[in-house]
Amino acid sequence: MKPPPFDYFAAHDLEEALEPLAEGGGDALVLAGGQTLLPLLAYRLAAPTLLVDINGVAALQGISRVGDGVRIGAMTRQATILRDPIIAAQTPGLAMAARFVGHTQTRARGTLGGSLSFAEPAAEFPATALALGARMEVRSRDGARTLEADEFFLGPYTTAMAPDEIMTSVTFPDWGPDARVVVHEVARRSGDFALVGLVMASRVEAGKVVRTAISWFGMGPTPLRSLQAEQAMTGQAVSDLDFAALAELAVADTDPPDDIQASAHYRRTVARRIFPRLARQTLEAVG
Amino acid sequence: MSEHAIEVILNGRPVRARVESRRTLGDFLRRDAGQTGTHLACEHGVCGACTVIVDGEAVRSCLMLAVQADGRKVTTVEGLEASDGSLHRVQQAMQDAYALQCGYCTPGVVMTLAAALEANPKPTEPDLMEALSGHLCRCTGYQGMMKVAKRLAGGGE
Amino acid sequence: MNDVPNATRFVGQRIPRKEDRRLLTGHGAFTDDVPIAGALEACFVRSPIAKGRIVRVDAAAARQMPGVHAIYTVADFEPLNAVVAAAGGQGVNQPRMGLLAIDDVRFVGDPVAIVVADNRYLAEDAANAVLVDYESEDAVVTIAQARVGAPAHRELDNNLGVGARSADDDPELDALFAKAAHVVSHTINHRRLTHAPMEGRAVASVPTGAGELTVYVSCQSPQQMARFISEAFNLPNANVRAIAKDVGGAFGQKISPGREELSVIAASLMLRRPVKWAEDRLESLTCAYTGREQEAHFKMAFDADARILGGHIELHSNVGAYPAGIHANALVTTLFPGPYRVARNGFKSEVWYSNTTGLAAYRGPWAMESLARETLLDVAARQIGIAPEEIRARNLITREDQPYRMCTGPVLDHVTPRETLALALKKIDVAAFREEQAEARKKGRYIGLGMAVYVEPTTMATAGVLSSETAYVRIEPTGKVIAMMSTHSQGHGTETTMAQVIADSLGVPFADVSVVEGDSSRGGFGAGAGGSRQAVLGGGSARLACQKLLEKLKLVAAHVMNSQPEFLEVADGKISVRGEPEVFQTVKQIAQIAYLTPSRMPPGLELGLESQARYRPDTPIIFSNASHACTVEVDVETGLVKILRWVAVEDCGAIINPSVVEGQIAGGVVQGIGEVLMEDMAYDDLGNPRAATFKDYLTPTIHDVPLIEYDHLETPAKNEGGFKGVGEGGAIIGPPTLVNAIADALAPFGVELTQIPLSPDYLLKLLEGRTPAHAG
Ligand code: FES
Ligand code: FES
Repeated sequence: MKPPPFDYFAAHDLEEALEPLAEGGGDALVLAGGQTLLPLLAYRLAAPTLLVDINGVAALQGISRVGDGVRIGAMTRQATILRDPIIAAQTPGLAMAARFVGHTQTRARGTLGGSLSFAEPAAEFPATALALGARMEVRSRDGARTLEADEFFLGPYTTAMAPDEIMTSVTFPDWGPDARVVVHEVARRSGDFALVGLVMASRVEAGKVVRTAISWFGMGPTPLRSLQAEQAMTGQAVSDLDFAALAELAVADTDPPDDIQASAHYRRTVARRIFPRLARQTLEAVG
Repeated sequence: MSEHAIEVILNGRPVRARVESRRTLGDFLRRDAGQTGTHLACEHGVCGACTVIVDGEAVRSCLMLAVQADGRKVTTVEGLEASDGSLHRVQQAMQDAYALQCGYCTPGVVMTLAAALEANPKPTEPDLMEALSGHLCRCTGYQGMMKVAKRLAGGGE
Repeated sequence: MNDVPNATRFVGQRIPRKEDRRLLTGHGAFTDDVPIAGALEACFVRSPIAKGRIVRVDAAAARQMPGVHAIYTVADFEPLNAVVAAAGGQGVNQPRMGLLAIDDVRFVGDPVAIVVADNRYLAEDAANAVLVDYESEDAVVTIAQARVGAPAHRELDNNLGVGARSADDDPELDALFAKAAHVVSHTINHRRLTHAPMEGRAVASVPTGAGELTVYVSCQSPQQMARFISEAFNLPNANVRAIAKDVGGAFGQKISPGREELSVIAASLMLRRPVKWAEDRLESLTCAYTGREQEAHFKMAFDADARILGGHIELHSNVGAYPAGIHANALVTTLFPGPYRVARNGFKSEVWYSNTTGLAAYRGPWAMESLARETLLDVAARQIGIAPEEIRARNLITREDQPYRMCTGPVLDHVTPRETLALALKKIDVAAFREEQAEARKKGRYIGLGMAVYVEPTTMATAGVLSSETAYVRIEPTGKVIAMMSTHSQGHGTETTMAQVIADSLGVPFADVSVVEGDSSRGGFGAGAGGSRQAVLGGGSARLACQKLLEKLKLVAAHVMNSQPEFLEVADGKISVRGEPEVFQTVKQIAQIAYLTPSRMPPGLELGLESQARYRPDTPIIFSNASHACTVEVDVETGLVKILRWVAVEDCGAIINPSVVEGQIAGGVVQGIGEVLMEDMAYDDLGNPRAATFKDYLTPTIHDVPLIEYDHLETPAKNEGGFKGVGEGGAIIGPPTLVNAIADALAPFGVELTQIPLSPDYLLKLLEGRTPAHAG
């Protein structure tokens, strides 16, 4: 389980990093926290010719308030997300999700941008980004562009980013001070990927759901929104909601895998069961 | 494959070496620096046996390249014992609680706890349990480690 | 028997372990930690298919790669004339086995070639460049397929492995079943697990001098390794030195050298250079020996009062392609009646080859006897309508019944099944729990209580290499004691426990005793760890050796002190006349005389203070026993199980070090927890292992286990020191205790649990469409 041969280059700024990616034609990979890439290399499931290490790129760090939300440098460590006061205040759902990500020792190096770019279907951050409507700023030698979360995750381990692009920051928009987010997952052991995971964000005003977003993880090839259920809830009085029926709708939008840890049937069953409680928890505590 | 000259402050002393880009920090410590106390038990970041402290933080040395440790301070289990030979209080607590059997997972566990105490001299028991959840031990059933977490919590001796 | 001064000064105490300091400071010496100048590293080219012919191996390009020293297939090893031990023990229907695959491959991971290079990175590069063409064939993966499918081994007619057997027709047993008021049957399909020691297999083979070989090897007994290696390569035993100072867990996986270890040794012999191999986790999970895969059908007949009339167990084991040693089915059938009065028992047992990784002993390899019996008793209790503790109370043997000859042969004596159960139940407080359970059920929460009772056959003194161990103890001129033992630790702490026994037996300080293990050139022959016997045989041989040594020490001292040996006592390193502690000679003073001052020795007495003893108890099996109880909550929404409490009451005779004993129990119990809840070495239809990472092969973490509450009874067996074994028990009794608790929690749903592991997926499937019977 030793990595295959590759060259290594430690970039000091973004330009230095983007150049070899542009030249590399897909054979150059970005080394962020390395907590996913190094296992892949150890199993020789990836064979890059070059690793471009962006740990030394200062521009990828930093957490700040911007107009409508919080802008988080893509190389922000998962451990930092867990304890950063701005994140705790502005987008606590992200900190909630971070609790489920790996273990202390991997959160020390694992990054937000790395996790989103890798797009593991059962991971917590992609689903959180999807539910909260995060915007990913990515850059290549040719320029920058911004990708919305709902156009970002294309398939297992596949995103809308081109091989020569680096994610530079992620902006989590404000959901307002009275918004409420719940992140929950069912996993076999702590730190494992979810068998079933749910992120739900809502705003309730005067007893009515004014906005909600539901996103599942571990329930399909990418994190999945449950648009039907969201539509059915929006504009309704919380007291009128039929959570069992909503659970059916919410699960209808998923496409869970069958694997060694659980069958698709299991995942659907559990999703159906945990949804009403979590939805209530999200909605009833607010507004 | 590129090779890189690195200098690592290992257990307080500078170590210079040339490493292949693909060499993991764990292999560097064991093979090049002769610090075999750090064990590799999975090489894919799950078991925690390889945990060392890099610039104050407990990390998996199988998930870092040696070249990435250039210019950093790395502490391995060999670097914890005091110069008078007395055990670090984590090591002492581990022995007192019979928290090891074969001892293969032990160095990683010790480093996680040492880093936790370094970062926060009065950690809570759940904090320590959470940190320990990133370690697999096949021998002890974690009984001693749970006692160690309790004992070290709140800065207890 | 000689009097033993201060008999319990160290024995029985929670003495800190001598092993800990080096292990805690990073100075352990595990195989891959040993610095070896010029060592090359090996890597294997392994089969990606479960069964097929090797059409062509093309290593030409790989041989040219940087740092590559050699690439060998089995044909290249022919000059060595190596003999690979027969798989599956002796008997008919043995498959042909080579160091590496011969002509065809028989499981995914089957080693086809070995690559030796400057380091493991380069070896892996080259291994990936070796091109092998296979002609794939249909594999047999499961027991069901093995029954009807093509032979896993082409040279055999069928898949029936060595050791299948059935009891003769037994009309009397049939009659018992026919007249029984209740016949209760149950089934367990136990999926495969693997040992997953944190240190994988490892070997470093160092050819030294003319025809000499030093082999560092991760194992359970370096003496056994030296024996196997010298036999495999036809080297004089004296020329082979096996060393295993520290070993990172074994659990039955490292009893004998695998084909990989032998191939590495072969490569080092061919190259005349040190070669090492440290198995990585991918190999450990998918290619190293596995354990437990069994299908068991069993039944018991009960009279109207729920007293057991007779039992029957039918067992099928999937032993893979190349199993290690003999499977434990015979012991399963022998022990099925356990510590209960069972008048008659029948059995049928079959073992099946398949195109999967070979099976080996896994901590308590016969454990199905307890899992089957104890789960069946709970099923019976539910069916008959009595409490699980009641059905046990009606059937457990008592102290008065002992010695009790089981209907299957072994004699139970000095065991305390009733006493341990009573203590366990008291501690867990059954009455209070039942109240809590009823309340919880009303609220839709499902908590359950499980219990299990068993006897553990430790120290099987009729079982070949397991029958004896040896100790060579000497007092050096420094007054320090050195003991060369055939015991071995992979975490067992024998360096400490044996020193406790020796310190007490000689009357010297614990700190003055060093126990040397882990080197075949120093300790005498023995099986080391395996079969839960080290306390008994190591402790026993140490005591016998010390008794002889003490006698001599006193003889010399009496001569020097103008006294008689029988008036002397030794304590804390001092020899004094009984009742006159102020007049003494130190052990060191006497030792110096014994070695250095012949003129002061008693006339005619041999110089030196050395002694050797090999111990085998008179009793064929020394039974220890235990009762465990635990409580759980099953989340019926998700099928996840949380263990709330765990009580272990063990009787392993005289305890040498309670913390070491508890460590053995806990380690076993937690492996049992993993076995019941999560460990699953699954294969797909083509025979591909599906758990190739520690994210897929799940073992318990610190969050998955409770803090175990212990109680100890210490009923000595009739052997030297009164010790009994305890190493495997937790892994035997843990699983039925937990399964019973989960079944109890789910009793309102009317389900019975027939698969291991009880994955959340399995539990939810079982509960599907069922509603709980009204909470009582
Ligand atoms: S060896 Fe690094 S986590 Fe297991
Ligand atoms: S003590 Fe052996 S693996 Fe933890």
